[in-house]
Amino acid sequence: MKLLTIDDSRTIRRVISGIGAMVGFEVLEAENGDMGIKVLEKHGEEVALILLDWNMPGMNGLEVLKLLKADPRWAHIPVMMVTTEGEKDYIIKAIQAGAIHYQTKPFTQEEMAARIMEALGMGGL
Amino acid sequence: MSGSDTVELMHKLLTGLRLAVTEMMTSMAMSEVVFAGQESADSFTLTNEVVGLVRLDGQLHGMVGVSCSQALLREIVSRIVGLSPDELTMEDLLDGAAELANMVCGGMKTKAQIGSVNLSPPVAIVGQEYTAQWKTNHPTTVFTFQMDEGVLMVHASL
Repeated sequence: MKLLTIDDSRTIRRVISGIGAMVGFEVLEAENGDMGIKVLEKHGEEVALILLDWNMPGMNGLEVLKLLKADPRWAHIPVMMVTTEGEKDYIIKAIQAGAIHYQTKPFTQEEMAARIMEALGMGGL
Repeated sequence: MSGSDTVELMHKLLTGLRLAVTEMMTSMAMSEVVFAGQESADSFTLTNEVVGLVRLDGQLHGMVGVSCSQALLREIVSRIVGLSPDELTMEDLLDGAAELANMVCGGMKTKAQIGSVNLSPPVAIVGQEYTAQWKTNHPTTVFTFQMDEGVLMVHASL
């Protein structure tokens, strides 16, 4: 099982890759929604969780989320939003569009690791 | 929005900004940071070696910048991504500076509980000698934070 992080910040992609490795997962990286779709086309069957940024150039995270949920190939993969946008309106929009978790940045390694395990149905650390 | 509403909004954002810096440094960079004071400046002028910058628009227009020395940025980014400071490339530093500004502004919005302010994509400047100055409608508040490795400054014109 692999995780996929879609975030335009290489800093955040690296942080998530490090945390993913810490909890035993390989993390695939994409810097925008289009590249994320390409990664899914190649590795979709192995991806257990998508961690998706909101503010990105091109398609924003909400648009990517809607695209993923409208495609039967990827609709079943759980999506966690990982974003600096922490207001209630954003959270509601993301949940309505199909996200199962919402993690605001900044976060601690322990917090994110626990969220990942929870999203994968593996409980906390 | 009335004048008093604007003042209240600015106060909320500045308070949120100060808290967001401390939270970001503690959680992501696992670094102790101590608030060392604030001052007001007439212009939004940045001269430190590294700057991450985000524009705000919507209910309130403005700009927030995070600035420090390149050595301090290397240390902060190194702690965030778990690589040694020497392994970081200029691209890593640019992305790190931009992401610091992004996280600080996101944290500021969340703490101030204001959804009607939009954040621009962050930009970063890394260089030895430059002065970046913006004309703004309001004075700039400059927060200073002391870390073991140097001083981090946060500039806000709201």
